[in-house]
Order: sequence, then C-alpha cells, then structure tokens
Amino acid sequence: MSVLLQATGLTKSFRMRGRDVHAVADVSLTVAAGAALGIVGESGCGKTTTARMLLRLEDPTAGRILYEGADITDLHGRALLPFRARAQLVFQNPFDALNPRFSIRQSLVEPLRNFGIPAGAHAAHIEAVMQRVRLMPAAAWLDRRPHELSGGQLQRVVLARALIAGPRLIVADEPVSMLDVSVRAGILNLLREARDSLGLAAIYISHDLALIRYVCERTMVMYLGRVVEEGPTAALIATPAHPYTAALVAAVPVARVEQNRAALPIRGSLSDAPLAGPGCAFRTRCPYAMPRCETETLALRDVAPGRRAACHLVGVAS
Amino acid sequence: MSLLSVRDLQVTYASRAGPVRAVDGMDLDVPAASITGLVGESGCGKSTLGRALMGVLPESGRITGGQVMFEGQDLVRLSASAQRAMRWRRMSFIPQTAMNALDPVQRLRTQMFEVLQERGGVSRRDAQQRSAALFTMVGLDPQRLADYPHQFSGGMRQRASIALALALSPSLVIADEPVTALDVIVQRQVLDVLRDLQARLNLAMILVTHDMAVVAYACDRVAVMYAGRIVESGPVAAVLERPLHPYTMGLTHAFPDVHGGEDVLVPIEGAPPSLLNPPPGCRFAPRCPFAEPACHASSPPLRSGASDHQVACWRAGDADVLRQLAAKPATWAGA
Repeated sequence: MSVLLQATGLTKSFRMRGRDVHAVADVSLTVAAGAALGIVGESGCGKTTTARMLLRLEDPTAGRILYEGADITDLHGRALLPFRARAQLVFQNPFDALNPRFSIRQSLVEPLRNFGIPAGAHAAHIEAVMQRVRLMPAAAWLDRRPHELSGGQLQRVVLARALIAGPRLIVADEPVSMLDVSVRAGILNLLREARDSLGLAAIYISHDLALIRYVCERTMVMYLGRVVEEGPTAALIATPAHPYTAALVAAVPVARVEQNRAALPIRGSLSDAPLAGPGCAFRTRCPYAMPRCETETLALRDVAPGRRAACHLVGVAS
Repeated sequence: MSLLSVRDLQVTYASRAGPVRAVDGMDLDVPAASITGLVGESGCGKSTLGRALMGVLPESGRITGGQVMFEGQDLVRLSASAQRAMRWRRMSFIPQTAMNALDPVQRLRTQMFEVLQERGGVSRRDAQQRSAALFTMVGLDPQRLADYPHQFSGGMRQRASIALALALSPSLVIADEPVTALDVIVQRQVLDVLRDLQARLNLAMILVTHDMAVVAYACDRVAVMYAGRIVESGPVAAVLERPLHPYTMGLTHAFPDVHGGEDVLVPIEGAPPSLLNPPPGCRFAPRCPFAEPACHASSPPLRSGASDHQVACWRAGDADVLRQLAAKPATWAGA
C-alpha cells in the first residue's frame, strides 16, 4: 500500500519557567492509503495537538509532514488549499460544528465552493454524500437548520461536510463522544463504510480503546507527549508491552458481569509526572520502574514484528 | 426491604411550548447497602430523578405526582425545611462536575467544616478530625485540606466531593454521572473509591450513568430508563445476560467491547420521543423492531418478569425469542 501521510519527529514545545516543555515530543507515524490509525491516551497526552499538526492547523516546533511524498510542513495559506481538500477534520461536537443560521444545504455548499468545485456539480455531490450518510431522501433534510436535527443526525451532516469534497484522509477527534450510546454505532458504521467503499484513510483520536479497536487496525498509545507503544490494535490490547498501555487496557470497564476488578497496575496520578528532563515520563507511576528509567530516555524499539514500545522491560531477549 | 421506594413519580418542567414530563410514572426500589445503577440516554429523566429526590430541581421543575418513601417518610409531602434537614444528613449528592459541588474561592477545609459544623452540629475539634479522616478515606492526603479546588486535578476534585457527600454519614448517596468527565484511569480509580466506601460504610447508592459498562463494573442492581420511565430493572447479572426489554437488548449490541468479539455494532435507529407530546403507547414502540398494534395503543406497566427482575413490555413473554432476533443487525435495520 502506498504511503499517504508521513510524519517524522513531530514536536510541539513551549517555554515554561525558563525551560522547554514538550506538549508533543518526537512523534513519527505513517498512514497508508485506506488505512486507519488510532491515537489513544488521556487528556494532556498530546493526541489532539498531534492531530492538529498533522492537519497543518498548528505549526510544529520541529519535524516534517509529508503528504503523498511532498513536504507540506512549511506551506501556508493558498498553497495549502489542495491539501485541505484532501485531508479533512471531523469535529467532535456536532452541536457547534455547523453554522446555526445555515441550512444543511448551505453547510454542504460551503466546502464545495472553498475547494473550487464548479457550481454545476454541486447538486450531484450533495445528493451522493447525503446518500452516503443515510440522510434520505436528501430533499427532506437540505432545507432544515441544525436546531431541527438530533445529535446523531447532526453528526451525519458533519461527516457529510467532511466527505463532500472527496478527501483521501479524515481525522476524527472523539467523533462520537457527544452522542447518545444508541446512535454512536450508526456513526461508527458509516465511518467504516466510507473507508471500505472510498478507500479513505483515517486517524482516530480517542481516550476510548474500545472505540479505537472497532475502527482502527493499528494504534499508537501516547503518554505526556510521547508515543509509548504502537502496533496492531488487537495485539496491543491482548498483550500490552508498555506498562502504561497495560494500565490503560485494565482500566476500561466492559458491559459484562465477569471482568477484571483487580487494582490497576499504576501508582500516583498524572500530576506526579515529571514535566521535563531525561528518563521515562511514566517512571513515577510505573510499578516496574528501575534506576535506569530515571536517566535513560528510551526510543521506541521492536517488541514483535510490527510492534514497538519504549520501555526497558521489552525488546530484550527474555 | 427497600431503603427508597418511588411510586408513580411525575416530575414536570414548565417550558414555553408547554409542560414537559421529564419523569412520568416512575417506579423504583433502592435496597439498603447496595449500588443501584440508573442507566439511560440524555433526556430520559435519569438526572431529573436524582435532583427530584434531593430536592434540588431547577426553578422550572417540580414534582407533580407520586410518592417517594425514604426511611419511613414520603419526601413528596415533606415541608421544605424538613427536606433541607434531611439533605446531607440522610441523603447526599455527588454531581457530575465536582466544581459544581465545590466552592472555588474557599479552601477545602472551610467547605468541609461548613457541612460538618453548620449542617451536622459537629464541634470544631471533631470537625478537624473528621475532615482528615474523610480525606484519608477517599484517598486524599489530609494536608491537602488547606488547598483550593483549582489546585486539585479532576480526579482529586471528584474525591473531595465524595468526601463532602459522606461527611454526615448519610444512608443514601446519589451520584449523577460521577465519572463521565474523567479520563479512563481516573474514572476507574474513582469507581473503586465508591465501591470501597459503599462496602465499608454499608451505604446505599444510586449511580446515574449513560454507560452500561460502568453499571456492569460497579453496580449490584440496575434500572434502565427510557423517555421518563423505567423499562427494566433487576440484578445486574440478570439484566445484562437475559435482558427482557427490547431497548436493553438493543443497548447491549450498540457499543464496542474493548476485548472485541463483535463483528458489527447494531445501532438503534431513530431517537427518543419528545416528552412534550409522547406517543400514547409504549414509548419505545416507534423504534422497536418487535412492536405490535397493542404496543402503540397502550403503555405497558412495569411487572415482574422473572424473580426480582421487572420489565415494562407487552411482549415480555417472548423475550427469549426476541433476544436471539435482537442480536441480528437485520432485525434493527427495518424498524
């Protein structure tokens, strides 16, 4: 499969009390055409900042972003327009993603205009995308305004807006977290279908590993701005390599009576974590921390074919 | 014997478009010393119920019918002052956002003392000891009583609001989506604090949530709400493993499991009805793939389906067959 998006060494840092603090540190990733990558982690782990840099909505402090092999890191303004048409963000909150005074039709025409699609082709694009998100017949929806729609219906419109100009990649940041449980499945299924039938690549940002598992075959786990583990989602959940991934997996409740209620394999809280300096950022919360975890900053290394983790406990002959 | 027994409760909000019955004929029994999950989607009335029980409904809402028996008294008929006296002492509340329970400009110590001394009549000396003990109990360092809420993380704030709710040893605690705003690891830690305290203090707890997995993790019993009513209730194991109501059956297939197993999720098409003008029959009937003419005509009462397991469904007798059908995506596609 051809590489669609590639990022190397993405870093976002800011000065705090005279030292550099990394919101995102040295994140590298590859998304192949038609593939789905999940980025999972808790608030403040840098997953949203990473997504915003990948979409060129925020400038990285360091690192490069390549789209279809072309470096887009330093492009701005009009020069970014072709990329913007190809890489779309799906907003988290459908209740404020649409202009309340616009009809659904106006909300869909706007991106078509922005990306220079001739007016004569608008109606066909709108009809096709409304069918794709299952708001049919389209005529029954297009003249309505956002306040006349439920959360699930609004999220379908948000998705239609992202898909209408024919992107190759969508980035969805918590795409269903604002929706009721009974309608979440409908949106997730639409996202899976869009990928299967359009060959759309996707990056999903979420704190919810169960959701990530449903839509992404590969996953990256972030902790305090760094990738601590990456690999096939099912394997990463079944046999977590990094102690943080293990805690994250163990913390997810399931809708079954029989489940793991043992104490989580993690100490302290996020506020105990070191903000800067060498060593593993997870060491203050890690049940297996050793002296060398304080001094050596470890890069990701191979755990198994296609799986990497940044931990002294893995990747060594056992 | 139930600690709390709700019968045919009605809570109505005044709105420009007319009265909205957010809770409309609700029956619920909460046994002592156990956690009851109250689960449902936004707008189903689960938070309204919690607020009505606590006597903290917003201005536009009031109880318009029914009975709430708690420790031998009907809360609906209690005077405002008698209800205030009961709040915190016999029954207390943990809101979704701890910032709503905590005063941002007061040190935690001041807030604890206020509840203990002013509402509980505890001496200053005892308040000092009790505050430290409560903080220790919820896993906070008693030194942090000197802090302001903004110095706490989200999880620590939620622990502090739990300590505050338990200050006067109530027999019932109502927690409204207590972990929804928290990250998954903190969420689990706060649920563990609640479970641990429930067992140690023999508390009864109502845990309001939209998340069936949270119910499965933390609760002994569950009541499933839909459009202002309880549609199913019983022990968690029975409701999860042998759901009797099509809505509960649908919910069990509607969200992913972290350990996988499902090929495809099955959404429940449509949306809950408007409570301004609800349908005459079963409120789930318009979304239910198994609805028959009778379901649209009249509303089914909550009845015992199996021992200690209640359901409000005219087709409850067919539940074993419906449950198999509900597992198939095609069943829900045409509804």
